Amino acid sequence: MYNVVQLFVKYGAHIMFVVLEIICFYLIINYNLVQKEIFLNSSNVYAAKIAEQQSKIAQFSNLRLQNDSLMHENATLIENLIAIEYSSDNIPDADSFYTQYSLIPASICNNTVHLRNNHYTLCKGSREGIKKDMGVISSHQGIIGIVRNVSENFSHVMSLLNSQTKISCSIKNRKGHGSLVWKTMDPMRMTLESIAKHEKIALGDTVITSGYSTMFPRGILVGKIEKYASIPGSNNYDITVKLFNDLTNIRYAYVIQNRFGDEQARLEKEVADE
Amino acid sequence: MNSAIQTNIIRIILIFLAQVLIFKQITFSLGGLAYIHFLIYPIAILLMPVKTSRPVLLVLAFIFGIALDMFYDSPGIHAAALVFTAYIRNIIIAFLEPFDGYNIDDVPTLKRMGTGWFVSYISVALLIHIFIYFSIEAFSFVFFFEIFLNTIFSFIVTFIFVLVLQFIFRTKY
Repeated sequence: MYNVVQLFVKYGAHIMFVVLEIICFYLIINYNLVQKEIFLNSSNVYAAKIAEQQSKIAQFSNLRLQNDSLMHENATLIENLIAIEYSSDNIPDADSFYTQYSLIPASICNNTVHLRNNHYTLCKGSREGIKKDMGVISSHQGIIGIVRNVSENFSHVMSLLNSQTKISCSIKNRKGHGSLVWKTMDPMRMTLESIAKHEKIALGDTVITSGYSTMFPRGILVGKIEKYASIPGSNNYDITVKLFNDLTNIRYAYVIQNRFGDEQARLEKEVADE
Repeated sequence: MNSAIQTNIIRIILIFLAQVLIFKQITFSLGGLAYIHFLIYPIAILLMPVKTSRPVLLVLAFIFGIALDMFYDSPGIHAAALVFTAYIRNIIIAFLEPFDGYNIDDVPTLKRMGTGWFVSYISVALLIHIFIYFSIEAFSFVFFFEIFLNTIFSFIVTFIFVLVLQFIFRTKY
């Protein structure tokens, strides 16, 4: 006890200084909104800036590769355009894919691929019209993920390579649909679940998005079936899908804007609430 | 000694009123880059007698700061900066100690300690106080450039004003 008193006599002023400053900072952080926001976000300002710089340098260093992939993408687009030209009589005028969905191009600031739950950061945010729960694709072949969080200039995307991913997919020219999940740690392979056993499938079949959600339009190419097995005692196949795009090497992405997404979600919610 | 306490109480109240009623209203902007604030209130703590004990300084600074924050609508910012200034005040005074030490009733004013001593004392203390104040206000060194500009410009005007005040009010204590 005597020691404690001694301590206070000797260092009382210093202790008092620390206590008063703690009270002050408590007041500052609790009552001043601006500081509160900065306290929570300041590290993110740095993190985003550093990631942006780093991605700038990385982008410069593999420009050749970028150009290649852009060329390929352009080629695919032109092919599609030609295909549309020739099949224009098949497309309904309104509410078709081409009017309902529009794409926002964005470059990727930061990504992870080697974790169990991977994420991307896009260098565009709410200012460019990106909203939560929009789908993100890399080109006509390849999903990247789903927007989870948006700030003014950045958006946070849950990668396809995430244990929470569940994307409704179907198999081209076949019936039935299932959900695409990531179970392995392999960034090139994913698992397609809940395709019933009575459906006919074959190796090399193309897996596409089913369009049963507001995030992705129907028909975006995902990958092809590498192998499948029918597990005894289960109703479904166990299908391994090899992805078309290499998610470890992506620099650019397109965010899918669904003009009628809100409307659809609202309608479905009304039904669910009843 | 009694009249020293009286002088200090009156001075603290006057400085408080001056800061809240007059200097709070005066803010210049320099082309949107930096803002000039008159922050003369730290001299209320800085001009207290040299031998004032630290706990007294700290408590006074805290109360003074919180009272100021009520008028500035910024709970804690002025108080945090002023408590810090009160804490380092004695360190600065110890650094500037003359050869023959301080007398028991010395006060750190221009008249008593001389122009050279007073200028170095008040400039160091004010600069630290203003820098700490703007740092806490911005609360992040991401805004280092803004903090720096605000500090420099506010320091210059405040410093000149404090000197003028000292030349006008040549109090004994």
